[in-house]
Amino acid sequence: MTAAPRPAPRPALEATGLAVGRRGAAVLSGVELAVRPGERIALVGANGSGKTTLLRALAGLEPPLAGALRWSGGALPHGGDRVRAVGVLFQGEPASRFTVRELVTLGLGLDAPPSPGERRRVDDALALAELAALAGRRCASLSGGEAQRALIARAVVASPRLVLLDEPTNHLDPAGRAMIEALLDRLRGAIAAVIATHDLALAAGCDRVALLHAGRIAALGPPARVLAPALLGDALGVEVRRLDDPDGGPPLFRVIAPRPRAPEAAA
Amino acid sequence: MTPRPGAILAGCAVGCAAVAVIAICLGSTGWRSPWAWTAMVGELRAPRVLLGGLVGASLAVAGCVMQAVLHNELADPYVLGISGGASAAAVASLALFPGLAPGPAAAAGATGAALMVRGLARGPHDPTRLLLAGVAVGSILASATGAILVLAPASQLLRSSTSWLFGGLGTPPWSALIAPAIAVGLAVAWLTAQATRIDRLTLGADVAAALGVAVAPLRRRLLIGAVVLTALAVAAAGLVGFVGLIAPHAARRLVGDGHRPLIGAAALLGALLVMAADAVARTAFAPRELPVGLVTASLGGPIFLWQLQRGAR
Repeated sequence: MTAAPRPAPRPALEATGLAVGRRGAAVLSGVELAVRPGERIALVGANGSGKTTLLRALAGLEPPLAGALRWSGGALPHGGDRVRAVGVLFQGEPASRFTVRELVTLGLGLDAPPSPGERRRVDDALALAELAALAGRRCASLSGGEAQRALIARAVVASPRLVLLDEPTNHLDPAGRAMIEALLDRLRGAIAAVIATHDLALAAGCDRVALLHAGRIAALGPPARVLAPALLGDALGVEVRRLDDPDGGPPLFRVIAPRPRAPEAAA
Repeated sequence: MTPRPGAILAGCAVGCAAVAVIAICLGSTGWRSPWAWTAMVGELRAPRVLLGGLVGASLAVAGCVMQAVLHNELADPYVLGISGGASAAAVASLALFPGLAPGPAAAAGATGAALMVRGLARGPHDPTRLLLAGVAVGSILASATGAILVLAPASQLLRSSTSWLFGGLGTPPWSALIAPAIAVGLAVAWLTAQATRIDRLTLGADVAAALGVAVAPLRRRLLIGAVVLTALAVAAAGLVGFVGLIAPHAARRLVGDGHRPLIGAAALLGALLVMAADAVARTAFAPRELPVGLVTASLGGPIFLWQLQRGAR
């Protein structure tokens, strides 16, 4: 007797025919995207291509103009259950007056003081983000990289199925960027992630890349295919040279010169 | 070792009770033990001191809420045009109906001004628009207050209005304590239960929504609560400045930024401040009384500046 094939796990997030925008004007339309459990997808595109707008819709903060969104096959839960479905890192969130531990605890979405078990979850998230020694420090006194790791720890402390990260390595020095990449590597496989980024090296480390251009997802697939100079040139308006690492490491991308953008599709 | 917030709250409560007892004992006729229950202590001083405590607690809690909702640490309970609305209505009431206490009219004016500000800043919640609308409505109503004071013929009006505009507790009956006591008790209990939601709200509307807070209903309830608390305080004691600004700041320095201990600590410090200020107002130039709002501002201002200097170091 052969065992029945196991059903495929439900996608952490599924968008079908999605159109998103601000004040009724679509920035992106026709978005078809299914994020598998534990998968990491990068959103790459020029400024204004709709990366942040799409992330806001995927976070349930902006109602879609058209199409449907399902989180783990259903609607986004309300209240404290929401943080167990989706965690969010916002771009440019101002430093709060809370301590690092207080900030990360708020990520649990609790309406009461944390139980001993919930405090252990906070300790684990702080350890994961290498912030245990800074737990009592006020967020306003942290460096940019430390603050970003604290915000990522807040986004993942409730062990959501999906985390949405808007420019996680923006404005960070090389050491800060490396620590964020190491933190994301520790989360790999456990939590699905959609990462909006201009950092092509970070995108190259993802399972799939969605290239946003001309109001739609112009390409979606493995980094080796999507992060090709021809596609990037059209989407980002620059000549890009890709230098692959013979040892199998992530490729390097070198911007050579700006180039005229391909004409936008008619709205 | 840093003391726990619970221990600090207990310390604030003990300090508040001590100031209440001392304030009840102090007066123009010298020391009177609150346990020697005379008409002076039981019918005049005790209700006045306790009403001062309730007014201080109301203003401090309303200040905490306004600062959280408007994401602005300079927000105070009167910020949404409430002081202008209360003043204009109270002075109009004193001019038209000199025999009536101006408190209810002031509460109605405060609430009306807050509703007008909210209406003018309608649309998506924008703290800056709300604050600017509050400033504009407040200044229009303040000029209306000035016009009434200048144009009204009765010289008595200027005196009674001045004492009201700078705050005064008068000689309230015990029954005047009922509504503020219920309001403060309910507000502190409800806000403490909502504390972690308010904490998340202070991180911004999007962050709060992503962290599971139903932002618009919470913000609406918080604003209504703050306006009701402020209107009750205004009805009881006129405009008592600075308490709603300084008490939340002082409480933050003691118990941190989490609203679970902060609401209670701010309420206790606000109560302590107004009771102490009223004791000074009654006794410093006895038998003449100073308006309590003058004392809160003149005591609170230097303390606030001292705290700012300490924080800058």
